[in-house]
Amino acid sequence: MSKPTPFQRVEGEEIMALGNSSCQGCGHATLARITFKVLGKNTVYTSVPGCIWIALQGSIPLYWRGTVFEGGGALISGIANGLEAVGKEMIVVGFYGDGGTADIGLQAMSAAAERNENVLWICADNEAYMNTGGQRSGLTPIYASTTTTPVASESRGKKSNKKNVPFIMAAHNIPYVATASIAYPNDLIGKLQYAKELKGFKYIHVQSPCPTGWGFDPARTIKVARLMVESGIWPLYEVTGGNNFKLTYKPRELKPVKEALILQGRFRHLDDSEYEYIQGQAVERWRQLLNVDGKKLPL
Amino acid sequence: MPHTELMVGNKAVAYGAKLARVQVISAYPITPQTTIVQYLAEFIANGEMKAHFIEVESELSAMVAVQGASFAGARVFTATSGPGLFFMHHPMMEGADLPVVMGVVHRSNKSMQPDHTDLMAQRDNGWIQLYCENNQEALDTALMSYKIAEDPRLSTPTVFGIDGYILSYTAEPVEVPDQEMVDEWLPPLKAPWAPDIHLPVQEWKKRQGRMYGSQKAWLEHDTKFRSSLGVIREVNAGFEKTFGRSYGNGLIEEHNCEGADAVITAMGTIASTARVVVDDLRSEGKNVGLIKLKCYRPFPVDEIRGLAKKYHAIGVIDRNISLGGGGNVLNETRSAIYDIAERPKVLGFHTGMSGDEVTPQMIRRIAEKTLKSVSEPVPTAVEWVGGA
Repeated sequence: MSKPTPFQRVEGEEIMALGNSSCQGCGHATLARITFKVLGKNTVYTSVPGCIWIALQGSIPLYWRGTVFEGGGALISGIANGLEAVGKEMIVVGFYGDGGTADIGLQAMSAAAERNENVLWICADNEAYMNTGGQRSGLTPIYASTTTTPVASESRGKKSNKKNVPFIMAAHNIPYVATASIAYPNDLIGKLQYAKELKGFKYIHVQSPCPTGWGFDPARTIKVARLMVESGIWPLYEVTGGNNFKLTYKPRELKPVKEALILQGRFRHLDDSEYEYIQGQAVERWRQLLNVDGKKLPL
Repeated sequence: MPHTELMVGNKAVAYGAKLARVQVISAYPITPQTTIVQYLAEFIANGEMKAHFIEVESELSAMVAVQGASFAGARVFTATSGPGLFFMHHPMMEGADLPVVMGVVHRSNKSMQPDHTDLMAQRDNGWIQLYCENNQEALDTALMSYKIAEDPRLSTPTVFGIDGYILSYTAEPVEVPDQEMVDEWLPPLKAPWAPDIHLPVQEWKKRQGRMYGSQKAWLEHDTKFRSSLGVIREVNAGFEKTFGRSYGNGLIEEHNCEGADAVITAMGTIASTARVVVDDLRSEGKNVGLIKLKCYRPFPVDEIRGLAKKYHAIGVIDRNISLGGGGNVLNETRSAIYDIAERPKVLGFHTGMSGDEVTPQMIRRIAEKTLKSVSEPVPTAVEWVGGA
């Protein structure tokens, strides 16, 4: 008998139904399957417009409510308070994309975190507005070609850096902040299990590669996700108890960012200086994170 | 026993929410709504009221938060004014299946003073809209709003308005009903749509009331929404039985209309002034009555058609405007009676915009012009009355 996969080791019932309307190789489908198996049936989950609502909602047979794009933080707050008021104990989850988290949804999310509402926020980050055809978001990385930052004679893709939302959330001094990747299911499962038991606002930011929007072979989703972590572009860490910082995955040596980026059509145009910029960023970020690993953040 | 207390309109609204035993409140401060939120926060802080107060960062979040709590099965309340209401527009459009109740303290978008343009700008989103004339009506309408919104045939959001400053910060004697009587009349919310772990998800899904999809969804929604007119009438009648007060038939009220040749229509506090004016005119032998319009959405078409059959002229006072379109009540009144063969003259007046003063003299002019139109030609162009 073959070794069980990390996913099979999670106890409990499979929630997600077979078949969904996401694109081939969609990272979100994997993420949703893991997330809801860990959280279990006593869960109310919510959507704001995006890939998850459109492509996956029909395959997730749980108590569900959708709201306006900018309203995620307020909706989960209302549901959590409402359930408490009527004496029901259920897990309340916001399962939103990068736009619903970092752009149009940031204000209500920040307010819900500030109030330390008893909810779990999962940011399924595919790094652009993929549901509407791949427009740039605040979580699109620098130089990425998107449909609103196309590469042409006068443009080198997105002009600015990706917003550091996990650190913004850590600055709210909430009980739990973590980054995760669908290529590291053990790490992700552990973080979900930890967050599930915790009272207060929990934030898990998961990088979820998008073959359609990033421009890679749908068979390579996990490989791309893994290389983004191994190159230090998407480090895995958690912040517990308000400010205890810990790297949860430490490669002995970072892989060159080029190994991850070269697989992605959105970076096909990169020249040496642009690779160098992203490489420098990854190395410097990693150095700083190692510095605070196991220590308290000055929040 | 019910007791009478001198209170401002905002306190009457807060008392309404308290007596309704609201379980979740979320609101964001804005003039002139602010003290409603403060009264409620105080009630909760001193233990008079047991409710969750979600201290949100915006009106939009206030609306979404109470929708979330209503979805979870709790009785909810929020309140706002003009600009805050505009900010709520998006979630108001989306969440029209939940029995959220909201108080609006009217505020113009051209001044801090009231006109009804704020709430009428929300006329298309499937919320029942009720307008109040005085502080007693504010408290009573808050209670009735829950009974209407939560009616199992409807489950429809309901908003009631009071004129900013004129009511919000003006004290009047208000009879506060007995809590036990309210409890009996307004039992706890039953929310079959709320998540319930004992119910299989497929069964639960069938209980969701959100009408979404093709053109058919619009037709179904409109049909259901219009049916709320009957429920409002029922609730108004039931309220009278229990508490001894009612507001016309719940939709409109005819004041001193017997034998009248013409009527004027008014909403909110203007109706209060108009009562006095109409009484004076009647005592002078002038046959003009007053119609107070309490319910604007759904528009009480049958009642308006009823007026058209009884009176020869209707003078419509609009404390609102659809820029480029005119007075909302004028337009809808004319539209409602258009296919009646012997239809009355309908004259339009704008007054009290941006909270400008509406004097008895101004209403007298409106009423006299309307009456005159019965027997002789008068200019039919919409008239702006008063205003500095």
